[in-house]
Amino acid sequence: MSLEEFRNFTIRDYHALFARGELSPSVLLEAFFQRIEEVDPLLHAFLFVNRENALERARRLEKEWKGKDSYPPLWGIPVAVKDNICTLGIPTTCGSRILEGFIPPYNATVIERLERAGAIVIGKTNMDEFAMGSSTENSAFGPTRNPFDLNRVPGGSSGGSAAAVAAFEAPVALGSDTGGSVRQPAAFCGIVGLRPTYGRVSRYGLVSFASSLDQIGPMTRTVEDAITLFEVISGKDERDSTCAPYPPFSREEIPPQEDIRTIKIGLPREYFSEGVDPRMVKVITAVLRELEKEGLELVEVSLPHTNYALEAYYIVAPSEASSNLARYDGVLYGMRKGGGQGLQDMYFQTRSFGFGPEVKRRILLGTYSLSSGYYDAYYLKGMKVRTLVRRDFEEAFATCHLLVTPVSPVFPFFLGERTKSPYEMYLADVFTIPSAMAGVPSIAVNCGYEDGLPVGMQIIAGPFREGVLFALARFVEQMLSLPLPFPEIGPERRS
Amino acid sequence: MENVYVTIGLEVHCQLLTRAKMFCRCSTDYIGKTPNTLVCPVCMGLPGALPVLNRKALELAIKTALALQCEILPEVVFHRKNYFYPDLPKGYQISQYDFPIGVRGVLEFALQGVKKRVRIRRVHVEEDAGKLVHEGPDLRGAVSGVDFNRAGIPLVEIVTEPDLRSPEEAKECLVMLRSIVRYLGVSDGNMEEGSLRCDANVSVSLSPEIPGTKVEIKNMNSFRSVFRALSYEVERQTELLRAGKTPVQETRHWDEARQVTVPSRGKEEAEDYRYFPDPDLLPFRILPEMLQEIRATIPELPLQKKERFMREYELPEPEAYILAQDRDLAEFFEACVREFPSPRAVCNFILTEVLKNLNSLNIGIRESKVTPSMLAELLKMVERKEIGISLAKGIFEEMFRTGMGARDVMLKKGISFLTSERDLEKVVREVIEKNPQSVADYLRGKEKALHFLIGQVMRVTKGQASPEVVKNLLLRELSGGE
Amino acid sequence: MHARVSFEEIRKIAHLARLSFSEEEFARFFQDISDIIAHFEKLNELQLEGVSPTSHISWSDPPMNADEPVEWQGSDLVLQHAPHVEGRYFIVPKVVEKEEKLS
Repeated sequence: MSLEEFRNFTIRDYHALFARGELSPSVLLEAFFQRIEEVDPLLHAFLFVNRENALERARRLEKEWKGKDSYPPLWGIPVAVKDNICTLGIPTTCGSRILEGFIPPYNATVIERLERAGAIVIGKTNMDEFAMGSSTENSAFGPTRNPFDLNRVPGGSSGGSAAAVAAFEAPVALGSDTGGSVRQPAAFCGIVGLRPTYGRVSRYGLVSFASSLDQIGPMTRTVEDAITLFEVISGKDERDSTCAPYPPFSREEIPPQEDIRTIKIGLPREYFSEGVDPRMVKVITAVLRELEKEGLELVEVSLPHTNYALEAYYIVAPSEASSNLARYDGVLYGMRKGGGQGLQDMYFQTRSFGFGPEVKRRILLGTYSLSSGYYDAYYLKGMKVRTLVRRDFEEAFATCHLLVTPVSPVFPFFLGERTKSPYEMYLADVFTIPSAMAGVPSIAVNCGYEDGLPVGMQIIAGPFREGVLFALARFVEQMLSLPLPFPEIGPERRS
Repeated sequence: MENVYVTIGLEVHCQLLTRAKMFCRCSTDYIGKTPNTLVCPVCMGLPGALPVLNRKALELAIKTALALQCEILPEVVFHRKNYFYPDLPKGYQISQYDFPIGVRGVLEFALQGVKKRVRIRRVHVEEDAGKLVHEGPDLRGAVSGVDFNRAGIPLVEIVTEPDLRSPEEAKECLVMLRSIVRYLGVSDGNMEEGSLRCDANVSVSLSPEIPGTKVEIKNMNSFRSVFRALSYEVERQTELLRAGKTPVQETRHWDEARQVTVPSRGKEEAEDYRYFPDPDLLPFRILPEMLQEIRATIPELPLQKKERFMREYELPEPEAYILAQDRDLAEFFEACVREFPSPRAVCNFILTEVLKNLNSLNIGIRESKVTPSMLAELLKMVERKEIGISLAKGIFEEMFRTGMGARDVMLKKGISFLTSERDLEKVVREVIEKNPQSVADYLRGKEKALHFLIGQVMRVTKGQASPEVVKNLLLRELSGGE
Repeated sequence: MHARVSFEEIRKIAHLARLSFSEEEFARFFQDISDIIAHFEKLNELQLEGVSPTSHISWSDPPMNADEPVEWQGSDLVLQHAPHVEGRYFIVPKVVEKEEKLS
């Protein structure tokens, strides 16, 4: 069984094979396990491969389903899950030593929904520790590598999920996005990554980094699969107070193909400035020209507070994180160190040993921003700037339906290239942070390759307008008809 | 003796009477339960868990604020209070900071008949922490154990302005506050069980212009401790001031065993709690309809009831005040009066015998076996002079102990009725016959002899006769006998 | 906004966050933090007077729980995987303060 035949498959295609009896979930799963065995020693996308449980589940699914007609939306489909999403009985580390040995006694809401739809969790993927990072180099368990060039990063923090899907170790994956952690790795690995409207997907069971920004999103090879996954995981959840009280997304919200030409696309000038790699601008501009030829209208817009969003984010997010990460103290779960000299000794040693440097930096930053005397100067200020950033988008969407921008100002960089200066690393998220701050949905889609590396394009929509978002994303995908990734992974591969 | 100016403010926490915890569905019925069984990912602060507000907790807190005449803020906002402690699983407590439920309220109470008024600074709602145990069969060595059954239980925090001027005032204020929360049904208000906790801030000054040093007192676990701790503290600070020294601004805790306050260890610097709005809980607008609905559930409160008792039943203020403090007792009183319309008599009996018996078993009237009807029946018998008051007291004790009605108690004890005067007359004549010396003494003017004769009649009748009636009969016989 | 961050302040912050560093490490972290905080100065270019802060992205009807207890069956699992448990207690080094730390 060669996965090569399935490289362009959507979930529907697998179901067609299942229906004809030409393929079964357990056989498909085995094929992916084999692929993982082959390439993951080099890629390191997975922290845990769920061999036994997954196979058992696959067999059970097959048994229970004998003779029935239509499948639940994700039936028999292996899903790779970012390791900050709680999975019952399966280790969940968030890429951190402090959670080594933590086995959640419950499933996140999204996992429950995946399983109710018939999906199989194939494994947990690598990530920047506690989702803090843009390269997956901050994982306590070693970095993941970009399937297109093993010397480069896959992006972060959902680097493991992105690499797994790009390298076809799994057909689909879940990631999480706080300031770009789904979109940027999706772009770096040439796949589709959706950041939903804030509140559209339940965060119950997602280990919190920055509560007012975190969202779980699908990472897939096709827009079609992102739609399917999004339909399954979205919708109100009474266990998450911040989850919007609306029903799940339905593909009926996607305007029909004929209406595509009525879509007006805004191009924010701040995102096409000199800071962006010119090769990237070239690829994206070419796509935009084609869209224009197809009849879509392009207009220039401005999001004047774009250049302040990064600083505001690095105040607000670490502040929330410093509080969210206070629970890692060695008392109830995960790792514990010290204690011989008393309680405080246990706290200091556990946290100092268990957290990596980036996490510590952000905890310090966040604690500082919230501390007495600095709250107004930093945290309050950050929240005010956030209001201005939101307004930027509201005003822009008065003149257009969607915004198109690059996902990242840079191509996937080399491992170790940006680890010297934290701020350098933060700049990688400059185009993904503003939409996250505003709570609006955005998607990364592959729009070409340059020098063998994928170029991602970001489409941003207004709140709860994922329908229009998917419409354009799908149109671009069809228009470009790029081959779906199935890179040869080997040590000889160079950039 | 020069003047001593005392300033006291109270910070009171009450556990709210909800069935489920504040931010999760765990049961609140934690007393006596096996450790760490009433828990879930949310109240244990597991990674990924999120809080969802228990509507009832919010309603009870609003009810409390309304009853204390607070101004209710239009939006409910939760803040995180960040600090590290083993009983705080998330490393922060979900509480309220600059937007509490209610502000600028008033609490009125009376101290020895004098009306007092204390301003309420704020009423807010927050979650309780878990419990730390330092000794036990499971704990070996220098360790402590944590039980999260209590973590997440809803609390209402009531903070007064420092308007109290003495330990007595503070205690009475606390008693009234407890009374109110029990009236409202928002809390048990039980200090011994921990459903009502009180911290105080005390400062003493020798001159009204110069403010004293504010000292925080914790660990007072009963009304009596509150009074004693505050009294001790006032004295301690006064002595320091008189000696020309200034009390240190610090936190002290009350040592019940040694009956002193001692400085709390481990509080070198004020903790910076870094309050910020909890991003996991959305602000919630309180609509006027909701306020109206809650306000409608507030019953007649202690002071109103006291006023009404004084009006309707013509009870004197001190007695009315005591009766009104306990909602159950007040209801018992009124129910009894409905069947035996002599309010003063009922009131007196309740405030003496009933309370005496309740206190001896340390229970409330609701837990007692005596019903208002039973008491009414007993009192009717006394009124009809079928039994004397001292006998009634004894019978009541038995009724209280067994739950039997008055007549059944008497039957059981072999106390029979002497209802007819004729039976009594017979006994009186017998006693007169058998005690000629006393009769002669009485007729010569010795009052004491009469008492002796009454006593003799009482002995024969085993105390069942009314002493009044006996006396009258004796007098009649003795005078008519000439 | 304070452009200059002091060593002492960051030491206090580290203590509040229960993080300890060697002198060398601390110097490095201090430098990193100072650099980042220096960038925050940029926000002072903005006119923020009268701008209301966004603390939440919210809707009008957040879910609330009914006051009905539901038992969770997983407490044994948590105890099973905890760092130190005796009986049914989570064990920590003895806590110095005798009285309970009140809310």
